[in-house]
Amino acid sequence: MAHVFFGVGCLLAALWVFVEVLNVPNIATSNSNTGRIRGMSKAAAVLMWASFLAGGYWYVTFYKPDKSLILKGPLPLAHSLFMETKEHLVIMLLLLATYLPIAASNNLSANRGARQLVLGVSGLIALLALWTEGEGAMIAMGVKMALLAK
Amino acid sequence: MNSETNKLSQPTVAFGLALVAASAVNAALVVAKEKIPAVQNALQYATGHHWITHAAIVLLVFGVCAGIFSRRTMEASKLIKTIVAGVVLSGLVIVAFYLIAG
Repeated sequence: MAHVFFGVGCLLAALWVFVEVLNVPNIATSNSNTGRIRGMSKAAAVLMWASFLAGGYWYVTFYKPDKSLILKGPLPLAHSLFMETKEHLVIMLLLLATYLPIAASNNLSANRGARQLVLGVSGLIALLALWTEGEGAMIAMGVKMALLAK
Repeated sequence: MNSETNKLSQPTVAFGLALVAASAVNAALVVAKEKIPAVQNALQYATGHHWITHAAIVLLVFGVCAGIFSRRTMEASKLIKTIVAGVVLSGLVIVAFYLIAG
């Protein structure tokens, strides 16, 4: 499914930004990695929007039969907890990924506060993306278990 | 010589605070639509699917609040704490709600 591919892409881009920010050279160094940080921040935002739109389309259009299958199966939590939280946590993930390029537009070589902000935001994106990927796996497991129990 | 600064650009502060406000609205809408059927029905009616309206409202709040906070200044450390606390708390409200009520 396309939204998983784009979501993992966003997770990797956010991790890339996190590690690059840990290695921002000080102001006296001319060889700055700020360009890569800004590029990967924009990539994280674009990938998250692609994931959100693809996943949202799939959820609105195709999820209903899966939902009724899951709720009749042996793992109803796959919908009542994992899907319900996932569909709302991804909205926060979208906000964070949209904000990342804005935070990264500050002068990171000369601004310790901005570096810490980008670290915090990219770290939150990576953790939240990992969490929602895990929830996606649980939802797929809920469908599988319901089909096996038939 | 130390030329480090902690001053953030105005869009960084404005959109940072808007992110916290939108996350809080996201969590509040979850509780409201699950607890009040009229809210769920209104969200469903507006676009044909409650989740589409929900996401649109949160994104609208994000944009509007960025405009409202556009002249605010804030120390970087305070903004980081506000964003992390706002996002984590909103996430916990959503997870706790479905753990208890789901």
